[in-house]
Amino acid sequence: MDPVKLTIDGREVAATKGQTVIQAAAEAGISIPHYCYHPKLAIAGNCRMCLVEIEKMPKLQIACNTQVAEGMAVKTQSAKVVEARRAVMEFLLINHPLDCPICDQAGECRLQDYYMEHDLKGSRFEERKERDRKREIFGPHVVFDGERCVKCTRCVRFVQEVTRTEELTVVNRGDQSTIALFPGKILDNPLSANVVDICPVGALTDRDFRFKVRVWYLKKTASVCPGCSTGCNVSVESYQNRIVRFKPRVNEAVNSHWICDEGRYCFHSLTDGERLSAPLIRQEGGLVPTDWETALHVALSGLRAAAPLAGIVSGRNTNEEAFLFARLMKRLSSEAALEVFYRERALTETEKILMSPDRSPNFRGARDMGAGTDGNHNSLAARLLEGKFRGAYLVGEDLAALEGDGGIEQRRALEKLAFLVVQDSRLTATAKLAHVVLPATHFGEKEGTYTNRRGRVQKLNAAVVPPAGALQDWQIFARLLSKMGDGRSFAGPAQIFQAISEEIPAYRGLTYERVGDQGVLLAGETKRL
Amino acid sequence: MEKVLLRNVDAPESHTLEVYRARGGYRAWEKALREMAPERVTDEVKASNLRGRGGAGFPTGMKWGFVPKDNPKPKYVVCNADESEPGTFKDRLLIEKDPHAVIEGTMIAAYAIQSHTAFIYIRGELSFGATVLQNALDEAERAGYLGKNILGTGYDLDVILHRGAGAYICGEETGLLASLEGGKGWPKVKPPFPATHGLFGCPTVVNNVETLAAVPWIIDRGAAQYTALGTEKSKGTKLFSVSGHIQRPGVYEVEMGYSFKRFLEEDCGGVRNGKKLKGVIPGGASMPVLRAEEIDGVTMDYESFQAAGTLLGSGGVIVMDDSTCMVRAAWNIARFFAHESCGQCSPCREGCHWMEKIFRRIEHGEGRAGDLDLIQSISGNIAGNTICPFGDAASWPAAAFIKKYREEFEEHITKKKCVRME
Ligand SMILES: Cc1cc2nc3c(=O)[nH]c(=O)nc-3n(C[C@H](O)[C@H](O)[C@H](O)COP(=O)(O)O)c2cc1C
Ligand code: SF4
Ligand code: SF4
Ligand code: SF4
Ligand code: FES
Repeated sequence: MDPVKLTIDGREVAATKGQTVIQAAAEAGISIPHYCYHPKLAIAGNCRMCLVEIEKMPKLQIACNTQVAEGMAVKTQSAKVVEARRAVMEFLLINHPLDCPICDQAGECRLQDYYMEHDLKGSRFEERKERDRKREIFGPHVVFDGERCVKCTRCVRFVQEVTRTEELTVVNRGDQSTIALFPGKILDNPLSANVVDICPVGALTDRDFRFKVRVWYLKKTASVCPGCSTGCNVSVESYQNRIVRFKPRVNEAVNSHWICDEGRYCFHSLTDGERLSAPLIRQEGGLVPTDWETALHVALSGLRAAAPLAGIVSGRNTNEEAFLFARLMKRLSSEAALEVFYRERALTETEKILMSPDRSPNFRGARDMGAGTDGNHNSLAARLLEGKFRGAYLVGEDLAALEGDGGIEQRRALEKLAFLVVQDSRLTATAKLAHVVLPATHFGEKEGTYTNRRGRVQKLNAAVVPPAGALQDWQIFARLLSKMGDGRSFAGPAQIFQAISEEIPAYRGLTYERVGDQGVLLAGETKRL
Repeated sequence: MEKVLLRNVDAPESHTLEVYRARGGYRAWEKALREMAPERVTDEVKASNLRGRGGAGFPTGMKWGFVPKDNPKPKYVVCNADESEPGTFKDRLLIEKDPHAVIEGTMIAAYAIQSHTAFIYIRGELSFGATVLQNALDEAERAGYLGKNILGTGYDLDVILHRGAGAYICGEETGLLASLEGGKGWPKVKPPFPATHGLFGCPTVVNNVETLAAVPWIIDRGAAQYTALGTEKSKGTKLFSVSGHIQRPGVYEVEMGYSFKRFLEEDCGGVRNGKKLKGVIPGGASMPVLRAEEIDGVTMDYESFQAAGTLLGSGGVIVMDDSTCMVRAAWNIARFFAHESCGQCSPCREGCHWMEKIFRRIEHGEGRAGDLDLIQSISGNIAGNTICPFGDAASWPAAAFIKKYREEFEEHITKKKCVRME
């Protein structure tokens, strides 16, 4: 890593040998406009937007493919550069349909942004524009508008270099060039929707998000994908208190710039459907709404009288929640058996690029918190079936509905219990069997931490507000604990994390602040995904 | 003048091994293999000052010298036989009439850089030429000039003929390599350059047919005899393909430095049908046009053409008499480039078609005030800002036609029609 000194716009910049001008500039906080360059894809050099002036070179050079050299003097704002950029913008727009009013990309479009920054002129183009396909379905998640495409080939390089699935290519020549599927292929690889994120314009849009919301109305919350224990960093984007899309958040130690399609759309199954708005207790004739005080009281006395006790917490519960759950269950019965819910499936090679086999993003963390042993919920479920328990507290997983996965047997086992408390955000099949149902929150409403498969502690933030009547899972546990006379009071996830850092050896010394928006690795963990 | 390049083409059955050998063919190959170290071959070509005849005029020996010797990867030589520049048909003559000279030159280049596989990438439309070349390759192999342990020296070499599929851009060396690799004919961003990262990422030399055809003569006779021909900076001879309104069109071999005017008037018999010369493009359609009066004093070599504001290019001389509509000529050329732009980079992909559309409007009486400046501006925005020199090739002629014949363009715009095509 030889250091190289150069100047960019007169500012001295330290770079390393082998870096390109665009990289060195970015590290120094100077952003050079670009379309085709993407830090994770091979250099294409085709958009010509990144042209810069380099002293002693007669022609403008593309910053994305020019390596830094000692003493190099780069100008990114000279008259010549500004004019070249304006020219490239003009070229890119001559055949562009300018249908921003009906384009999902509007508001986060490089053509719009750079036009405002570098062009701001009327068009000199008075010829007939070339036409192209306006909405070709590329795959289950992606639709293509050829007229908006700037032929930067980011999408093509993505399917060549990242997924190696090669569904897309460029066909035809000159201004008839366009992106197309290879005959017989559809864009359906497990990471397919990332092409929407890297497309700098509105040529590739997300079929799920299409026409839902103008992006400038979105509230963006930095969080972690609840899909699996890879723990990809995401921006959870919501509108009017509804989650409408996930976008990847760059984290080179976890997911780089990508997320998988399953993760991207998992919020639907996790948040759709009617929410519980009040606690329920079983009376003759079925479950009836009640107030929290009553519900917690009934739950507590029921559980106290129903040893031996089993407790299963979801892999989507946070560390803070799992910590309190374990504390609560151990207080209820020192013999209580606890496990974390876990399910997995075999992954294809392409899925393995990013995904973990499980559907339990915080499986590792919840076990670290003492909410599970070395095994997982399956062994506990088997003992439930054998009738080894009289009471159970189930959090956030619909055991009775596991299709083809022992659901029927689970159901019978749960029906046999003397006392069952179910805590969930919706009235699930499992909740319908309960004696007490406690309405809680889903991942998008929580604040707290997850620990991913590799031991990286990462922060979830609440993107939307839970319905009135529901409580945060941690609040439910905290209230039950205080009813049992636990002397420690927990005011929120930050305070619970404080307790974790005191009591759980692997988490010793961590602070909520240090977790930040990129996470921290547990001591002794060095692996990256 | 003794002919270097066209030395064999008029001999009966010149394409056969027998005739080629009888006229001294493969002597240079044997000499190189048996008597010269590879570096000596490169040195000899350096000493000859031979420059690339594919259009860019890059010194050939220097190009061979750029190939790294310590690189463990295989090395390749590619003979660029894609000849598609409008007005250029010299390589085709060599391929069809003197295929062994092209092959021998390719082989010597391969030996110089120690390559064991060479390719000849031939324009798809040249199907007769491809047949001739393949037959010649087969003959050479049967005679033991190609294959394993050539002439008992232990050196192995295969030469593979590959036919293109019909794209001008596959003549641009990196577009050619992309196509030869089995991909779309898309020029590659440079750096890296083919000398280190060429075909399949391996060190590669790409040379034009005419360049390589001169090599056997240079090795056989020695560099000194070659440098005795030509001017100070442009050594040897050059082929010119002459077409258009000229009495005797065809391929001519000219010693560098020959008077352009004399060449057109005497060698080629002057403008046909007693008409007057209006303009001439000396270096193929991608080079700037010269007005009739601009050719006075110009000699046929790199320096003189450049001083006159154009370039030697591929030596495709296109002659236009005074009946020519220059707007239509410019439009024709613009249409060619719009059709052939590979579409990879923004300025060329969009700009070539834009210019073509404006030229078409002007020719059809729909020109507007401002159109000419607009074309000049578009042309300026393309030139120098693209991945490959196609962008220059497309923008220079457009700018030159307007600069040199502006009054004719203006006439089209003000009269709202083309008076010549009526
Ligand atoms: C658009 C374009 C088309 C070209 N077409 C040809 C061609 O058909 N034949 C050729 O030899 N060189 C062609 N060239 C030049 C090649 O890129 C390359 O410079 C040449 O093959 C090198 O050989 P030389 O050094 O022997 O001239 C073309 C260049 C451009 C930019
Ligand atoms: S679809 Fe988007 S990413 Fe793909 S080439 Fe076009 S503009 Fe680039
Ligand atoms: S790999 Fe896992 S964490 Fe990443 S997006 Fe997919 S489901 Fe979410
Ligand atoms: S200059 Fe034209 S031909 Fe060359 S790479 Fe760019 S678009 Fe293709
Ligand atoms: S970003 Fe450099 S050419 Fe596109």
